[in-house]
Amino acid sequence: MRTEDLIRDLSADLPKVTPGAVAGRIALGLGLGGAASAALMLIWLGPRPDLGAALATPMFWMKLGYAAATGLIAALLLVRVARPAARPGALVAAAAAPFAVVALMAAVRLAQAPPDLRPALMMGHTAPHCPWRILAIGLPVLAGAVWAVRGLAPTRLGLAGLAAGLSAGGLGAAIYAIACDETSAPFLAIWYTAGIAALSVAGVAVSRLLRWR
Amino acid sequence: MLAGLAGEAEPYRRLLDDLARLLRAYYARRCPPGMDAEDLVQETLIAVHTRRATYDPGQPFTAWAYAIARYKLIDALRRGRAHLRAPLEAAEALFAPGGGPDGAEAAMAARDLDRVMARLNPRTRALIREVKIEGLSTREAAARHGMTETAVKVAVHRGLKALGGQYGRGGPDAD
Repeated sequence: MRTEDLIRDLSADLPKVTPGAVAGRIALGLGLGGAASAALMLIWLGPRPDLGAALATPMFWMKLGYAAATGLIAALLLVRVARPAARPGALVAAAAAPFAVVALMAAVRLAQAPPDLRPALMMGHTAPHCPWRILAIGLPVLAGAVWAVRGLAPTRLGLAGLAAGLSAGGLGAAIYAIACDETSAPFLAIWYTAGIAALSVAGVAVSRLLRWR
Repeated sequence: MLAGLAGEAEPYRRLLDDLARLLRAYYARRCPPGMDAEDLVQETLIAVHTRRATYDPGQPFTAWAYAIARYKLIDALRRGRAHLRAPLEAAEALFAPGGGPDGAEAAMAARDLDRVMARLNPRTRALIREVKIEGLSTREAAARHGMTETAVKVAVHRGLKALGGQYGRGGPDAD
């Protein structure tokens, strides 16, 4: 086929493009993945039994807020790096901001606590499970993000994989927070972060899947 | 590009024409020997078209288009695609009415064609038969398969290119 013919064919078939199509596709991918993750959490672990009472505690909202804020900022980053010639800019720093806040709160809490209480604050009673559960619950979100980004046009695949993994980590951890009854900031800063980081690594590891033609 | 996103064909066609010229210059300097630069130009134009929703009107168009061109070059190098060497015209000629060989040669060509076509995926095979042999319009083929016209064109284009590659690599001469 001659290039002129190709150009003629391509410009003969030109449906309008809706503004916001990129963000819409990523929202759809993360939303469908998130629904699957929520179903997985409900079937596998179930919501924490005292969820009603927990809704009144600041710690519940801090856990949910840390995870959801990380996931949403990473989702904005993902919208950006799913386009060619993407400049991630200040969003990379913004993605680290929720962690900085939580780390600071954890440090203050540990500094104020008597030394013999500190291990319990850090380990809670689910530390060995927490990162793995977040990893498992976040995987459907990662799958949704990969599906969405493959249909777009990332040109920096490693960065796109990282953003996909970080958004899946944040949103997966937010869903896990419904099931988790840990109550200390140091626990959150260590083990939630470990789970989110695990999904970020997974995102980079599968960035080959983001290749498009 | 903005006109293109809004569905205006004529300014969009001029944009693709200009872009094709820029891309030829871009690939002429970067395309390694043995790889067909014009194929990369066409691949990039298809990508610009099918992924045009990822163009952000707030950003320079050339930066966006060159990022795609660079991605396509890296992608081609990574695949080390030998079939990029095979000219697409060779595959097109197989379907040209009256242009093929006659008699026993035609029978042999038809057999070879069946053999190489068998390696394509079934839908691409059906599309090529319908559009290039039965003479259906792209619109009719698109309706029959529930695809968009763009998807049909891209599938046919890529199918022909794959045919060109197989025919060039493992064609009758190789037997």
